[in-house]
Amino acid sequence: MASTARGASPDLRRARRSEALAGYAMIALPLFLFLVLQIGTVFYAVWISLWRWNVRSGPELFKGLGNYATALADPVFQRAVQNTIYYAVVWVPLTMAIGLFLAIIVNQKVRGQAFFRGAYYLPAIASSAAITVLWIFIVAPDGLFNSVRAVLPFDPLMTLFGYGPNQDWMGDETTALDSVIILNAWTTSATFMLFYLASLQSISGTVYEAAAIDGANAWQTFTKITFPLLRPGHYFVATVAVIGALQLFDQVAIAGGSAGAPNNALMTVVLYLYNAAFTQFNFGYAAAVGVILFVVIFAATLVQRRLFGGAPSW
Amino acid sequence: MRAKFLMLVVATVLVFAACSSGSTSPAPSSGGGGGSSPGATEPATSPGGSAAPSGSAASGTLDPASVSGSVVISGWRSSPEEGEALTQTLLGFPAVYPNIHVDYQPIAGDYPTVMVTKISSHEPPDLFYVNADYTPEWIAQGFLLPLDDYIAKLGIDTSQFFDGYLSIFKGKDGKIYGLPKDGNTIALASNTDIVATAPTTMDQLVTTAQGLVGKNGLKAPMCLNPSLDRGLAFIYAQGGSLLNADKTAEAIDTDASKAAVQWYLDLFKNGLGMTAAQLGDGWCGDALGKGHVAMIFEGGWLDPAMVGTYPKVKYAWSEMPTGSSGKPVTLSFTVSYSIGTDSANKDQAAVLLDYLTGKEGMTTWTEGGVALPSRKDVAAPAGKDVLVKGSDYAQPGSGFMPGYVDVQKAFQDAFTAQVTKKTYDAGPVVTATAAAITKALAQ
Repeated sequence: MASTARGASPDLRRARRSEALAGYAMIALPLFLFLVLQIGTVFYAVWISLWRWNVRSGPELFKGLGNYATALADPVFQRAVQNTIYYAVVWVPLTMAIGLFLAIIVNQKVRGQAFFRGAYYLPAIASSAAITVLWIFIVAPDGLFNSVRAVLPFDPLMTLFGYGPNQDWMGDETTALDSVIILNAWTTSATFMLFYLASLQSISGTVYEAAAIDGANAWQTFTKITFPLLRPGHYFVATVAVIGALQLFDQVAIAGGSAGAPNNALMTVVLYLYNAAFTQFNFGYAAAVGVILFVVIFAATLVQRRLFGGAPSW
Repeated sequence: MRAKFLMLVVATVLVFAACSSGSTSPAPSSGGGGGSSPGATEPATSPGGSAAPSGSAASGTLDPASVSGSVVISGWRSSPEEGEALTQTLLGFPAVYPNIHVDYQPIAGDYPTVMVTKISSHEPPDLFYVNADYTPEWIAQGFLLPLDDYIAKLGIDTSQFFDGYLSIFKGKDGKIYGLPKDGNTIALASNTDIVATAPTTMDQLVTTAQGLVGKNGLKAPMCLNPSLDRGLAFIYAQGGSLLNADKTAEAIDTDASKAAVQWYLDLFKNGLGMTAAQLGDGWCGDALGKGHVAMIFEGGWLDPAMVGTYPKVKYAWSEMPTGSSGKPVTLSFTVSYSIGTDSANKDQAAVLLDYLTGKEGMTTWTEGGVALPSRKDVAAPAGKDVLVKGSDYAQPGSGFMPGYVDVQKAFQDAFTAQVTKKTYDAGPVVTATAAAITKALAQ
């Protein structure tokens, strides 16, 4: 292909060039907007992060890397980072596993397939604010969860672990973040199911036929064929999940307020950033926190690319 | 070759940029036809040259009748009743000032965040609510216009405002950055079927509560808020404080304050009080309404909630029980009307401010039942005598120091931890709060 292009007549080359120009012209406006609104704002945030910045009047005092040093030394910020990482480490694999499990179930040719797909996807449609409020009621001390568990056989086990019949799951420092993890695993796994379903359906049926002829059982088919061939799906879902996890905000803000109550148990990096900007009006500092988060997300995505990126190998 | 392509791309981008900015710029100015965005369009229409605040500053007085144009007023709307009460109040304005058109634009959602974005783009409403919670920060950031000029020119008598309310809106420079639009104080609300005589001292409060343990189907005698929003009243009542007299250092780590915090924790320890969360309620009002407790400490916002949700529960207000200091102590909460530094229609806003915080406007507003008057010359709305009486001696419950949100958080986190862990030790609460105060004062 390349050799034919090089050896092409001047007319053909001109035609190709004008075609390319037309292409560039067409993407020019979106590209310009992307550069200004996406890339430009990142650089502007870096610039703001070097100052003590008044939201109304702009730069007040050059601080260099001072904002970054303050953030890294602040115990509340450290707690926010800890919480965010814990959330990502637990929530991402959990939700991916549930999403994959659901996808495989609804991918079976069973009666009522459309109903199950719709039913599993339903929680993803509800707004996160509404479903968080609903969840707060469910796990309240006199909520549905505690009432139901009281009549279930595993209740004594929970009591043994120190969770009494009136356990305040969102209000207790030790269980608040885990409650949010379960909430989000419930609501988001359906979206991941959808991603995985698309991936599953791109796997050619001939591979499964070959496996069946070779006498592979269901488990072998899953571990040796389905799972490895879903690699592009894993990459996409994991990347989206990690970015979402590191940006956790609305559920914790609704459940724990801007204070991340109880006792910073629900303080995340984005909530910390929000507080720095909108309750302390420390915009330079908030920008520094944002830049740190940006670098972390960028690095995490590169690592994932290394792990899952590239074509599926089999 | 590649360089040429790049240049072409850059050139195209520039052409597009020029085109797009050329085509969009006329749009905003032509969009003002609806009359709902007077910020940019109206000042030119006001005759007499009074629209420019600098011009009127030279004149010494401002005749409100000569001001015309329009004014945008914004605030949050915490309930339909609040929107209705404000609309009713605003309806009375054109009768007095027919030349000023009022545009009420309530802000939905996270009010301070929305306002900060408006302020950062130099387009704040002309007159808006400022909650005491963040007033010191907004003053320090230069968001608000000092009102002293307008107060002088319009002849506003600020001595009519209760001091506990007005003091919040005075900056460190002594200037006034807002006038309290209303207020609220904390008092004791008790279920009259269970508590025949309300306690008047803190010792009586404990005795009364002890007599109620395990009776009348109560989960606890009192619902208590594990925060400074209520706790501070009990600290003041026992001679304690958060700050020293000249507000330069913390005073929570003193014997009197520490004893008061311990007293408050002991109410939990001895089963006399529980938090709303422990009771399984959203807030203490629900706890009183559902019969979980017999006594709570709340403000005037309790009344509409009780009437609306628990109309059968009989309760009465009484003043906060007095402590070792012997003097009545309560906390007050307030919100101002302020004008933005960048507000477009300052004169019009000042006239509306004068009307709303004046005797006539505030009477209509407080008759709406949402809040108490912040003026001494406005009569207490029906059933609010006890709460209004508190306005006279109340100390500010927020906004009296910068960074108070962080101080509240430190206290509440440490206090809740003591209650949850059932250790009930004032020591760590005092230490954490003292550290937060010191940090806030240093910033």
